[in-house]
Amino acid sequence: MAENKPDEFYNDLGRIDQPDILSLQNCDREQVQFSGAIQPYGALLVLDPNSLTIISASANTYSLLAATWDSLVGSNIDSLLGEEQAQALRLQLMAKPVNTALAYLMTVSCLKSVNQPFHLFANATEGQLLLEFEAVEAIEPSVQTVSWQRLYSAMQCLQQTTSLSGFFAEALEQIQFFSGFERVMAYRFDTDGSGEVIAEIKPDALESYLSLHYPASDIPEPARRLFALSPLRHLPDVDYTPVPLLPETLEKTVNLSYANLRSVSVMYTGYLRNMGVKATLVMPLFKAGKLWGLIACQHSTPLYLSYEKRIPLELLSQMLSQWMLSREEQEQLAYKEQLNQVLDQLMVKMAKSESLQQALIQDDINLLTDFDAGGVAVLMDGKLVVLGKTPLQNQITLLIKWLAQQVEDIFTTDSLSKHFPFAQEFSDVASGLLAIRLSSKSQDWIIWFRAEILTEVNWAGNPDKPVEIDEFNGEIRLQPRTSFALWQQTVNARSRPWLECEQEYAIRLRNALFTIVVERAWLLAQINADLERSNLELDSFAYAASHDMKEPLRGIYNYVEFLKLEESEHLSPTGRQRLETILNLAERMVGFLDTLLQYSRIGKNKLEFSACNMNELIKETVTIINDAWQDNAINIEIQGSLPVINGDAVWVSRIFQNLLTNAIKYNQQPCKQIVIGCDTTQATPVFFVRDNGIGIAPEYHEKIFELFYHLHNREVFGSGSGAGLTIVRRAVERHGGRIWLESTLGQGSTFFFTLSPIKIKS
Amino acid sequence: MEKSNPILIIEDSIEDFEIVSWAFQKAGNQQSIERVARAEDALLRINQFDALKPCLILLDLNLPGMSGKELLTLIKQSDDGSFIPVVVLSNSNNPHDIKSCYRLGASGYICKPLQLQQFIDKIKNLMSYWFNTVALPLERN
Repeated sequence: MAENKPDEFYNDLGRIDQPDILSLQNCDREQVQFSGAIQPYGALLVLDPNSLTIISASANTYSLLAATWDSLVGSNIDSLLGEEQAQALRLQLMAKPVNTALAYLMTVSCLKSVNQPFHLFANATEGQLLLEFEAVEAIEPSVQTVSWQRLYSAMQCLQQTTSLSGFFAEALEQIQFFSGFERVMAYRFDTDGSGEVIAEIKPDALESYLSLHYPASDIPEPARRLFALSPLRHLPDVDYTPVPLLPETLEKTVNLSYANLRSVSVMYTGYLRNMGVKATLVMPLFKAGKLWGLIACQHSTPLYLSYEKRIPLELLSQMLSQWMLSREEQEQLAYKEQLNQVLDQLMVKMAKSESLQQALIQDDINLLTDFDAGGVAVLMDGKLVVLGKTPLQNQITLLIKWLAQQVEDIFTTDSLSKHFPFAQEFSDVASGLLAIRLSSKSQDWIIWFRAEILTEVNWAGNPDKPVEIDEFNGEIRLQPRTSFALWQQTVNARSRPWLECEQEYAIRLRNALFTIVVERAWLLAQINADLERSNLELDSFAYAASHDMKEPLRGIYNYVEFLKLEESEHLSPTGRQRLETILNLAERMVGFLDTLLQYSRIGKNKLEFSACNMNELIKETVTIINDAWQDNAINIEIQGSLPVINGDAVWVSRIFQNLLTNAIKYNQQPCKQIVIGCDTTQATPVFFVRDNGIGIAPEYHEKIFELFYHLHNREVFGSGSGAGLTIVRRAVERHGGRIWLESTLGQGSTFFFTLSPIKIKS
Repeated sequence: MEKSNPILIIEDSIEDFEIVSWAFQKAGNQQSIERVARAEDALLRINQFDALKPCLILLDLNLPGMSGKELLTLIKQSDDGSFIPVVVLSNSNNPHDIKSCYRLGASGYICKPLQLQQFIDKIKNLMSYWFNTVALPLERN
């Protein structure tokens, strides 16, 4: 069942002397393409491509072409075909230049056997032109017509099949009809090169090969590669006697790689004989341009198909290749449709949801809906969530680490432990894996898992012993397998294989996610930019407004002062009181405006960063405060040594001024104790101001930072702008830091803050 | 000192001008005071060839049209006025404003205080400094 073991499979080391005994030592040197022999069902000439002089001829030219080989060698093709046909041949060769692929040229008849026409095939390689002659089989035109009609209806039948299995059943039936071979099989290659018989027609008497697996070595890679070039390989008689090309001694050996008539490998004929096969015919099947499998025909007696008989088969096999893709697609169509619908629903869900990860996992519509998988894991932004039956979280984490090194994009397997031995631990839930990375650089993944399915694989013979070795004359001799007895293998750590449409689904999902993420990032950037701009505008507005308002307000104040000075004696005490009230109100408003101005300035203005020696800065600030309050009952202590930090000195001082002012104001102790310090043990220095004041209840810890918020009545602790802490927080945040407090009512307060982003100590 | 070299006050608000001239009066000012309400007028006055140059300029920053800072720059660049001391009299206590005014060549910066008495005190100090302490760059008779 295997094809000729060709050419590239063996090293280029020269001919061997006894091509029919292979030993371990020399089997890798068998060079079938240089065997210098052909099968007897045709004749072969080797010519110089320019002069068409015959260099070599097969020994059977006399019996086939009525001209002895030695009469041909040395003369040119005209001596065989006559001038007219030779000229036609030359024209044909010029019109369609010949290359390695074997091409049908024309039909000719030889001078000496005019009544027998021949099909002429040509291929050219390494500066030699090879012409193959095969006798034309005379077929009645009416029979020929029936044949074409039959072919046409065969095509129609094939087109009407609705399932893949129906397609193959019909195909094999047609091929059996046209070929007449007893057994016709469809053979599919696995990813590792081994293969399985997926469809079969056979006579009842013969045993079935259906579902049998064959190891990769039965049809090695070079053999498979050659199938892509040749639409059909025919071995009419396994027991043929090779016909040598004469003369035997040639300057240049003939390369028969692409010749139809080429003699086949002894391993191959031995193999076939061991199987009880006498004639074969093999055609490749392609899916989307890649070799997918073979149609293999076998017969228990020699069977020769003429070119006429072979053409419909070639046509059929090429059509099968074309249609196989669409049949497979049809099979998966319903599934694909379902998946499409799920994808649409998921996309709607994601568009509405804040957390993409949750949208993929939760509720009725999720990553497992209608998808043939046991479980799924989603890693996004460092967070891992799972659904269904999956390995343990730490196992998944390790798996992802491994995946990240192997895979850029998408990875599928139905036997994970083959690639990643550690996966043997959880092969029950995850033998099959479909992993997709959300973008080539990201650490985000979606991984579907498929449980293990224990299958029995039927091997034709022991897959680990594809050849038999026995001793002969002290040499180890290779024999093709004699035993094709059923060898069952229980395969574990394997799942159902992934379908094309499932991979497509994953890719489309990934693309949709990616788009959403990108859009959201863009939206976020937009919103942030808008917010920035809005804040800036607000600050500018606040600044301009307060600035402009101060002037007339001051004017009001001054004019009331004028009144006091100039008209006091004309006013009653009440009147004078009213004037005082106006002055007080105006003063408060000035206070508000100043605060607003200050507050808006922090947002607007650029901070001027420099290295601030906090020891000095705090000392100066404390001096300012002490000078302002001039109160002996105030004791401000600086605890320990303060660091040097990067900040805007003016604003940093203001922060402390405000905090200290608060600490002094909201304090009813006879002796007001304030401590300033810094915790330098953290990665980011944390400053603090601690007081023994009235304390703040927890429910107000947030509100006190609000602009113009007053916790106490004006009369109790003196009026303040209500913006002191707001300004402090803003200034802290503009340094990239954070402010928080610890305080209990009646037991003082401690305000903590940083002046740079908090770093996490690694 | 020659009374006829006036103090030039550039102030657009009539109320503010009234307050500042009242303050000057209470502070015992003897110099004549001239006022312009727009920057452009100030330039004209300074460059006036047939009038005495101001001995001191008090400049409000918040002017309509050309701003006080722009005017300051121009004065300090002009041949006719660059030597005249310009003291900014402003509502703003923004450190940036203060710094930039000095950078542009201001000789002083006074934040207009809230209370009249404080204003009078500042004007007294101003006069004491410019008329009784430092020399002004103008010929006296």
